[in-house]
Amino acid sequence: MHKLSNKKRLFIFILLGVAIYFLSGAVDELRVYQGATVAVYVVGIASIILLTGYSGQVSLGQGALLGVGGYAAALLRIQFNAPIWICFAVAILTAALARLSGPYLAGTTLALAVGLPSIANQFELLGGEQGLLFDVGFPPLSFGEDFTQYKWFFWIASLATLIAIFWLQNVMRSRYGRSWKAVRGNDVAAELAGINLTRNKTLAFTLSAGLAGLSGALLAMTIGTVSPSAFPLALSFSLLTGAVIAGVTTLGGVMIGAVTLVAIPDIAGAVASRFGSSEAVTSNLPGLLVSTLLILTVLFVPNGPVEQLHARREHRANK
Amino acid sequence: MTRINRRTLISASAVLVVAALTAATVPAQAAEVGVSNSEIKLGMTLPMTGTASPGYNKIPGAMKAYFDYLNANGGVNGRKITLKVEDDRYVPTEAVAKTNKLILQDKVMALISPLGTANNKAIAASVNPARRGVPVLFVNSGFSGFTDTKKYPTTYSILPSYVMEAKIMAEYIKDNFAGKTLGLLYQDDDFGTDALKGFTQAGITFAVKVPYASGSQGAAGVPAGWITKLSAAKPDVVILFGVSSATAAGLGTAAALKYAPQWILGSVGGDATTIKASGVPAGVLYNAIGASFAPATTDATDEYVKLFSDIYAKAVPGSAFDNNVLIGMNSAFVAAQALKAAGTNPTRKSLMAAIDAKGASFASAALIPLNYSKTSHVGYNGYWFGKYSPTGDLKPVDGKYVLYTTDSGSGAVVKSTWKRPAMPAKGLPN
Amino acid sequence: MIQILNTTLIGLTSGAIYSLMAMSIVLVWRSTRVINFAQAGLALASTYIGYEAVQLFDNYWIALICAMLAGAAISAFIEITFMRILLKHTSSGPIAGVAPIIATLGLLGIIKALITMNWGGQDVVITPPLSNTGFSIGSDTLVFSPMKLAIIVSVALLVIIFSLIFQKTNIGLALRASAYAPEIARLAGVRVDLVRTLGWALSGASGAVAGLLLTSYGTGAFSPESAEFSLLFISGFIAAVVGGLDSLVGAVIGGIFLGLVTAFVLMYISSSLFFIAPFVILLLVLFIRPQGIIGVKAGRRA
Repeated sequence: MHKLSNKKRLFIFILLGVAIYFLSGAVDELRVYQGATVAVYVVGIASIILLTGYSGQVSLGQGALLGVGGYAAALLRIQFNAPIWICFAVAILTAALARLSGPYLAGTTLALAVGLPSIANQFELLGGEQGLLFDVGFPPLSFGEDFTQYKWFFWIASLATLIAIFWLQNVMRSRYGRSWKAVRGNDVAAELAGINLTRNKTLAFTLSAGLAGLSGALLAMTIGTVSPSAFPLALSFSLLTGAVIAGVTTLGGVMIGAVTLVAIPDIAGAVASRFGSSEAVTSNLPGLLVSTLLILTVLFVPNGPVEQLHARREHRANK
Repeated sequence: MTRINRRTLISASAVLVVAALTAATVPAQAAEVGVSNSEIKLGMTLPMTGTASPGYNKIPGAMKAYFDYLNANGGVNGRKITLKVEDDRYVPTEAVAKTNKLILQDKVMALISPLGTANNKAIAASVNPARRGVPVLFVNSGFSGFTDTKKYPTTYSILPSYVMEAKIMAEYIKDNFAGKTLGLLYQDDDFGTDALKGFTQAGITFAVKVPYASGSQGAAGVPAGWITKLSAAKPDVVILFGVSSATAAGLGTAAALKYAPQWILGSVGGDATTIKASGVPAGVLYNAIGASFAPATTDATDEYVKLFSDIYAKAVPGSAFDNNVLIGMNSAFVAAQALKAAGTNPTRKSLMAAIDAKGASFASAALIPLNYSKTSHVGYNGYWFGKYSPTGDLKPVDGKYVLYTTDSGSGAVVKSTWKRPAMPAKGLPN
Repeated sequence: MIQILNTTLIGLTSGAIYSLMAMSIVLVWRSTRVINFAQAGLALASTYIGYEAVQLFDNYWIALICAMLAGAAISAFIEITFMRILLKHTSSGPIAGVAPIIATLGLLGIIKALITMNWGGQDVVITPPLSNTGFSIGSDTLVFSPMKLAIIVSVALLVIIFSLIFQKTNIGLALRASAYAPEIARLAGVRVDLVRTLGWALSGASGAVAGLLLTSYGTGAFSPESAEFSLLFISGFIAAVVGGLDSLVGAVIGGIFLGLVTAFVLMYISSSLFFIAPFVILLLVLFIRPQGIIGVKAGRRA
């Protein structure tokens, strides 16, 4: 796999940004909103790819970390009426501070994912079950009357996502990324080579938590509120799913994973209403379809489509 | 320099003229979104699957049962009413996404009975039906904030808020249980804290208050913990202000532990049919006091209950006619009248204007009046109290309906003498 | 005084059910090193089969046996068809940790959807065979009833049976060997694949009992979306981790510990802390003893 120079990568990202700019003008409002949601998932899935794919740790509670970021952003906005960019930055830091490390990570993150909603209910400050409002304000008037709120969200989310992914790629190509790969391959050898395992893993988790916090803040922006029910256990599992579909080991498939998460329930719903008979069937068919797709993906394309393509290319090259 | 300026000036004026001409050509008045010559489309989001769905997932079937009956009898001014239902699994992100789909893609005329406080808040903040002029009819939430017409100008509530219910319960307790010690079981989210607000406003104090985490009522041992705590403080009267699964669990466990204070059940959890379906014997309900704004679902003498349960039994055979079904069909009935009153060419604006002007006189199954007006989007504003019979049917105390009504603010509770008018012929909007 | 006694009883009986689920989880973990998220779904399916059995035979205990057999059969089937393919495709790399979780989650979704399509979303009831009315001591009533006694006895019986199988029989030895050193076990002539399937079957049986007893803890009503079942897995998982994922005794101790501490926290601090308490318990236990109460410190496997 040829690696692009940093300058070339930057150029590609800028091109992507321009393409997104034109795309946002060409599609209707519903798609623009879905685009913002895709951006949220891209960052969320990237956080899992970093944690699990690169560093080999499993977190079942990424959704809770998204929640931390979302609440931090909302609280900052309400208490200090700070401009959104500062909100996002602090969201990242706060979530990163909430890092955990050590064994039995899966159980602890799972318990966190379940416990987070209750915490919001205990403290009046966090708004309880009904949640807090997170208002990023209207787009600047100079953009014109037709510039909808959702387009504004899409722009903000896309920009944040492009920056975050670009930065993440930089990190993964740096010595930190290499050390994670080394630990993932053979942790005994890595330790012998002088890598401090604990610090290595903690760094991965901290960065992952920070990305998750950003994703949560973006999510809060798109729904205009934060509440415990916006970060359910299902969110953590969706992100894991998206990461698996994307290909947990590489960042390349992250868009595929994110788009799938947004598109599949839609398609499944459409299929269900066409073929559904009783209420029981119609409302459960989407769930059934999504679960089946999940299982098929894990069984047959376990490393994700991107890796599969690379493997096939290498296989052909070796013939 | 001057040459460029003049060219710019000419091109600019040319553009302006063209723009003015285009603007002056007013396009033909398009029919309202969601309204065609034959159909009116309404949209709804609620949990159809997931842990919050039991009970609520019967509401779409109930509403569709009424709408199908209405459509078979001529519809509304010749148009059929179609209900598009989307499952939001009680998650605000999905509620927003699905509502966007309903409004932007399916192009419904109005939203009806979207469920959940957090979900409705997210819909209001993100989808912003107010800015789009989309009516949000009969929100399925008791959050008192939705009655604020400045914040939610296109939203109409229908359920009395939890604050109102608590105030009314407090008044009833003052009338009938003055001087007795009180206990309270409540859900530890906005549902419960709203109730606490109302009780505190009314000056009620509790000897023991037991909050429960929403969702924990099904866990082994949790209801037993509540009853142990409650019985330790020995209150004379215990208010169960939770959802039906919590109420059922509380009653069943208390019976098993031979604990029997005077129970008062809140309207949300007090549905006898749901309680009995979850295995609690009818005898446990006997002599408990319940609050409701609708007739009891087991009251076969009530003309609305008879008609609605008939329609429902034909549409969804084998499914029990419980409170969710009754209130769902009632909301559909009121919506149909609103659409009829909106005129032969209904628009979103005319729909809302119709509710504002005539909503207070719409027929409805409830025994409490509707209170819609230009300045108020409050639906029902009161409750009556009844006692459960040995078979678990809620009957008004001493056979007389005493209506307690109040406002959504700090106003007092007054007894209303309103009598529900006769049902329009065949239960169709007249 | 009676309150403390009652709180202890509540903790013990709920802890017993958590232990059953924890044992299921540990059984699967020990035999295939996978956390089976579909466990609660399987327990739910077994419970529905138990419901059908009650309709057929009108006897709770026979239905319990049927549910156990069904649970064992379904779990074994899933291991043979599903998990083997999965583990073959994903045996190495970082995906190895995550893939089984995702796959079993997908399985859970399918099971739940199928159950709802078949039996509907509303409650069905399995009437508990014994009375749930509490025993009386003088004027006070204990939070302990014939049914709850039966629950504790059933759990104790299962724990004893499983321990005997694991410690005293050849199959048990084979189970333990295949989990820790599959290659060596194979060389020693153990049919590792068969033994793994057996592990899953035992886990399915245990899960079925957990599901059925859980419904009998209350009024006997349950539905596919019953909160009890969703919570069952999480509680069982946390109990298993608290106990140290590697031992059955640990699972039981973890379950009882979780049950007792949760009951006391809910009674004496606040009853709305139901979801926070396990999280805090977990953090504390792992902080003080990262391998769980009974767990053995993970050795380095070079």
